Amino acid sequence: MPSAEPAILAENLAKSYRRTRAVVDVSLRVDVGEAVGMVGANGAGKTTTVEMIAGLRVPDRGRVRVLGLDPRRDRTRLRQVLGVQLQHAHLHGALRVTELLDLYRSFYPAPRSSEELLDMVELTAERRTAFQKLSGGQQQRLSIALALAGRPRVVILDELTTGLDPHARRRMWRTVERLRGEGVSVLLVSHAMTEVERLCDRVAVLDAGRIVALDTPAGLVARAGTDTLDDAFVALTGQELEQAG
Amino acid sequence: MRGTAVEARRPGMRSLLTLVGCEAKMVARDTSGLIVPLGLPLLILLTSASSASDLVVDGGRTALDVFVLPLVLTMVIAMVGIINMPSFLAYYRRSGILRRLAVTPASPVMVLAAQVVVSVLQTVVGLAAALVVAFLAFGVDPPGDTGATLGVVVLAMAAMYSTGMVVAAIAPTPNSAVAIGLVAFFVLGALGGMFGGRQALPGPLAEIGGWLPFGAAVEAVSSAWAGTPVEAAQLLGLGATVMVGTLLSAAFFRWE
Repeated sequence: MPSAEPAILAENLAKSYRRTRAVVDVSLRVDVGEAVGMVGANGAGKTTTVEMIAGLRVPDRGRVRVLGLDPRRDRTRLRQVLGVQLQHAHLHGALRVTELLDLYRSFYPAPRSSEELLDMVELTAERRTAFQKLSGGQQQRLSIALALAGRPRVVILDELTTGLDPHARRRMWRTVERLRGEGVSVLLVSHAMTEVERLCDRVAVLDAGRIVALDTPAGLVARAGTDTLDDAFVALTGQELEQAG
Repeated sequence: MRGTAVEARRPGMRSLLTLVGCEAKMVARDTSGLIVPLGLPLLILLTSASSASDLVVDGGRTALDVFVLPLVLTMVIAMVGIINMPSFLAYYRRSGILRRLAVTPASPVMVLAAQVVVSVLQTVVGLAAALVVAFLAFGVDPPGDTGATLGVVVLAMAAMYSTGMVVAAIAPTPNSAVAIGLVAFFVLGALGGMFGGRQALPGPLAEIGGWLPFGAAVEAVSSAWAGTPVEAAQLLGLGATVMVGTLLSAAFFRWE
């Protein structure tokens, strides 16, 4: 039974950059405690959609609510309940892992402890390493830890495990499963079908700025008449998997 | 729980202090950026102070007291405020650091405030270095009116940082921030007497230069150090720069 106030509600979102229509018409609902995946080829409009939901971009049309909050008008309140891991974002390079954790924890009234966050992303051994000296995967894991620092009720994870080795990927999956166990709502942008199949209740397939299918992983497979979610994606979008990157 | 039940709690002083501490650590771990804003004014002091300290110009005060030291102090303030600080902020924007902070409860004002605090600390270090050299190596006279001198220096810092904030707000890249900052610094400096005194400029330019932050700061520090009254026009020029700069930077500031 869906909650009256969805975790994320996006209605008829549209966004263009000059002559490029990045998002044409996207409507999406993520209920409280639900995990929804968003998949699509490069340029399908996933990141722009996520950025509009997170309040980083203003939609040309449509509206967004996160737990009933308007990302632009209720910015301060929204930031306390929404954790965002961005696809492309860097941190102060000369600061150490614990210093960055302490900084981001200081933004929230009741943050997770540094030890808990380090454990969640397996960076305890690197706690005194400067951000610029971490590997790409370690930087990615730290970015995830920072998104979870404020005990968010809703998290947006953009390319959660891209660039992570199989061990770290599975660790991140367990972290998402733990969040779900805590009742946290998740919007997961991913290129990895195995990931969304394992972690998400429903999956939205984006193509050319529109959601062309939104269903459970099993429902998508059934609708496409294929054997796997990979094949279902190809059938629904006409995109080869290589293009989906 | 409904979203509207979430209390709007902005990060407080503890968070600001943590951010200031992080910014200070960044500077301390990469001091190369301080060489120009702190080293160049000291170089000018060392090359000019010797002859200027022997030249009595007004009321028993030397050219070092009245011209060189106010110019060097203003240069330190202007270089950190107009060139250094904006380039840091532009780098933060370009690299995505501001974008990452934009999805936290940290407000733009807090990020800017932390930058200003750390820049002030850098400026204080530069001013202290210049004063120590001036006192110990060249026997500069103490200020005639210490309170007024401190007040004018604080106002000059506010004016330069406000100008720097505008540069930081409009510069799209770190390189452009340095370029815009350098142009602003040299234009304001040239009109403010950095290259031989405003008297050498054509009348209208000299007049305008006296109202702009560099010229107003040099004149105001000079007067206060000499113990003579600071002209209202200079205080007005500096105050107006603070107001206009603050409003413009707040209006144009972007996370990315």
